[in-house]
Amino acid sequence: MDHDLVLWIVVATALAFDFTNGFHDTANAVATSISTRALSPRLAVSLAAVLNFAGAFMSLAVAATIATGIVHADLITPAIVFAGLIGAIAWNLATWYFGLPSSSSHALIGGVVGSAFVAEGAGAVYGSGIVDKVVVPALVAPLLAFAVGGLAILVAYRIVGSQRPGPVVRGFRLGQVLSASLLALSHGTNDAQKTMGIIFLALVANGNVAPDADVPTWVVVSAATAIALGTYVGGWRIIRTMGSRIIKMDPAQGFAAQSVGATVILAASHVGFPLSTTHVISGAIMGTGAAKRVSAVRWGVAGNIVTAWVLTLPASAVVGGVTYALVALLGTDGVGPVVVSAALLAALAVALGRRLVAGRTLTAEG
Amino acid sequence: MTVFAVDGHLLWQVVWVSLLAGVGISALFSFVIVGAARADEARRAGNGGAAVGWAALAVVTFALFAVGVILGVQALVHK
Repeated sequence: MDHDLVLWIVVATALAFDFTNGFHDTANAVATSISTRALSPRLAVSLAAVLNFAGAFMSLAVAATIATGIVHADLITPAIVFAGLIGAIAWNLATWYFGLPSSSSHALIGGVVGSAFVAEGAGAVYGSGIVDKVVVPALVAPLLAFAVGGLAILVAYRIVGSQRPGPVVRGFRLGQVLSASLLALSHGTNDAQKTMGIIFLALVANGNVAPDADVPTWVVVSAATAIALGTYVGGWRIIRTMGSRIIKMDPAQGFAAQSVGATVILAASHVGFPLSTTHVISGAIMGTGAAKRVSAVRWGVAGNIVTAWVLTLPASAVVGGVTYALVALLGTDGVGPVVVSAALLAALAVALGRRLVAGRTLTAEG
Repeated sequence: MTVFAVDGHLLWQVVWVSLLAGVGISALFSFVIVGAARADEARRAGNGGAAVGWAALAVVTFALFAVGVILGVQALVHK
C-alpha cells in the first residue's frame, strides 16, 4: 500500500490528538477566571484559543523530544507513533468524559511507550527516562504548586486584608485576565510544539523532508489551528471540575492559583525542568483552598484527580499497545492503520449519533 | 547529589525560583490593588499627599509586576 497514505493517517491522527489536547487543557487557562466571573465563559475560551494559536508561532524549535530518552528513537516507526497517538487520544477522551484534568503529555508518552513495548519489546523502553520525565515531575509539580499557591494566597490575604471588598474583587479579576492570558500563551507554545514535532518526525521518516530542514509552514499552521479549535470548543466538564468542584474560589484565590501556576511552569521550564501545566494548576488550586481552610478542599474530588494522574501512563500505554497489536495483525504498511482509523471513526460516529438521538428523545419528553 | 535520574541541585533551583516568583508576583499585584484602592480613598477624602503616595506605590509595584510578566514571555520565547 502507498506509504504516503500511512503518513497522512499519522498526520491526521496527530492533529486529532492536538485538538483533544486543546479542549482537554482549556480548563488550565480559563477555569478559575470563569468560576470567579473574571471573564464570561465564551470570552474566556475565545481569548484562550487566540492566545494558543499565537503561542504556537512564538517558538519554532522542533519539539521532537516528546519520547526522546524514554523510548529508543531509532526504533520509532509511523505505526508506533500512530498507535501511541490513539492511546493518548483515548485517555484524553476518557478523562474528559469523567471531568478529570490529566496531563496530555504524559498520555502521549504512555501511548508511545505501550506501542513501542509491544512492537520491539522491553528493550525499546528506557525505565530511567520514565522516572526522569514522568514520575519525578508528576510528584514535584502538584506538591510544589500546592505549597507555593498556599503561601501566595496567605501573603495576598495579608496584604489586602483591611481593604473594602469591592476594589479587591475587581482588582484580582483584572489580574486574572492577565494570568489566564499568560497561561494560554504558554500552553500554545509548549503543546502545539508536540504535534509539530510528531508530524515533522513522520515526514522525515517518510522521506518528505530532510532531518535538518525547517518545519514546513503548513505543519505550524495546522498544529496551531487544531489546538486553537480544540481550546475554543472547550472541555466544559473539566472546566467545571477545576473551576468549582475542587474548591469554591474567590477572585484572590483564582488569581493566586493562576499566577502561581504560570510562574511555576515558566520558572521550571527556564531552569530546564518542564512540568505538566495540568498538575501545576490543579496543585495550585488545591493549595489556595487548603491555605484558607483545609476542609475547603473537596478531597474526594482531589483524590479522583490524583488517581487519574497515576493511571495516565499505564492506561494510555495499554491502549497504545493493544492498538499496535491490532495494526501489526492487519499490516503496519497501510492496511492496519487504515482499518483501525476507519473502525475508530465509525465508533465515534455511532457514539455521537446515539448522543444526538438521546438528546432529541429528552427534548421531546421534556 | 542525584535522586534517581534527576539532579538534586536542579530540583532545588526549581523549588526556590518557583517559590520566589510565585509568591513575589502575587504579593506585587496585591500591593497594586492596595495602592490603587487607598489612593482612591485618600483622593475622595481630599488628602492629596496621601493619594499621591498610595498611587506611587501602585505604579511602582505594577511596573515590577509588568517586568515579571515580560520576563515570563521572554522565557517562553527563548526556552
